[in-house]
Amino acid sequence: MRYYFLFCVLAVVHAQDLGSDGVWVPASVADMGSHASVPFQPWAKLKFQENYALKQNPLDLRCLPPGVPRIMLMARPFEIVQTPNRIWFVYEGGAHVWRQVWMDGRAHPKDPNPNWLGHSIGHWDRNTLVVDSIGFNDRTWLDDAGHPHTEQLHVIEKYTRMGTLTMRYDVEIDDPGAYTQPWASSSSLSLRPGQKLAEDICLDKISK
Amino acid sequence: MRAFVPFGVWLLTLASGLAQQPPLAKDPGPFLPPSDFPEDKVSKAVAGPAPHLPDGRPDFGGNGAWYPGFNGNIAETTWKGVKSADAHVDVPFLSWTLKTYNERVENRAKDDPEAHCLPVGVPRFMFDPYPFQIIQTHDQVVFVFEGDNYLWRIVNMDAKGKTHPRNLKSTWLGDAIGHYEGDTLVVDVTGFNGLAWLDQAGHASSDKLHLVERYTRTDSLTLKYEVTIDDPQAYSKPWTASNSIHWRPGMELMESICQEDEKSSIHMIGK
Repeated sequence: MRYYFLFCVLAVVHAQDLGSDGVWVPASVADMGSHASVPFQPWAKLKFQENYALKQNPLDLRCLPPGVPRIMLMARPFEIVQTPNRIWFVYEGGAHVWRQVWMDGRAHPKDPNPNWLGHSIGHWDRNTLVVDSIGFNDRTWLDDAGHPHTEQLHVIEKYTRMGTLTMRYDVEIDDPGAYTQPWASSSSLSLRPGQKLAEDICLDKISK
Repeated sequence: MRAFVPFGVWLLTLASGLAQQPPLAKDPGPFLPPSDFPEDKVSKAVAGPAPHLPDGRPDFGGNGAWYPGFNGNIAETTWKGVKSADAHVDVPFLSWTLKTYNERVENRAKDDPEAHCLPVGVPRFMFDPYPFQIIQTHDQVVFVFEGDNYLWRIVNMDAKGKTHPRNLKSTWLGDAIGHYEGDTLVVDVTGFNGLAWLDQAGHASSDKLHLVERYTRTDSLTLKYEVTIDDPQAYSKPWTASNSIHWRPGMELMESICQEDEKSSIHMIGK
């Protein structure tokens, strides 16, 4: 009972606080479709099989960003920085990039320039941060396994802090260009208190 | 008279031989017609007093972004036909850094790491034409940059008298520790890999580089940047470069991924 009380206090303290003295590390989810029956369109199924056989997105070898949600399914540390109007994700690896989620109530732009990390807006649904992203190019994979997507990709991510050291991650894929209906996956993130992000410049490994 | 001419030639030869250093490579001159250069789009915003956070710390953020402009040479007030750093510096080169600098200028910066999508580095971030924003939390200052690979940089603010870790792994951006001195953010950086150029012109450094950066928002639209470059393996004494960085109200950063379909660097030619 005492521990339950403590858990509640921690849960309340951290409800809408995703930042920390430390880094978050996602659980590695190589294939986000492995627990779901993925509603492929025929071309997307063929493309997935082709990608799966490659074992790695060839663009990784050119150090291009992994995209969303894959960047949240790779076991690479990142930090979450919260400010009143924005939440920032700062990534150690995959690529030394950052991502911003607008929290100021704005809508997505009408015709965003397709890019690697998309355009993200967020809001709090009780203690869950809901991040809605569009505006992706079609060159990234959704996961290591190689689930493909088109520029119509719409990703809804949900971040729920379950306690001091853990966060639940739910992600919904809505891409009418590649799948017949939306589908979802989930994972978890762990906090490593006190750890700092290291510098990892992917191009160092291929430019020498 | 006949004897005097060879003597004069001999004297000149001797004088040039005695000169300690060869001359600095010259400014290569304008690279864009002035009308094509977006540098001087002056903001119509009127500067107000520098803002502060509720706890009194200087506020380096707001609705907008910082834009350093193109400042190709951190030691010259003009470079390639446009305004460069705030002040000229007589750089205390060692012979290898002068030689390297001259080669890079004359070689049209062909081997500039930044042109090959590698990190811009410090202090060059504050002199290159990439907008950036500064995020201040209770224990960190995070810089996020639009260029050249959508990079970020973290300054740890969280410990009094904190020192850099021993056996620091050498990196492009170094290990940065900061504190506030009144309205100035002071950042101490070391642990560099010595590969980044200090500026586009080509000032070199070694892995012994130690920087002290000072950021002061002198009014709502101006960030005064001063950096002291202390690198005994590259320069005979510390020297200081500076730049006034402009606030662009309402500016938002765009994703910029240098290596997306990068096809330029293989075509770069030098002398």
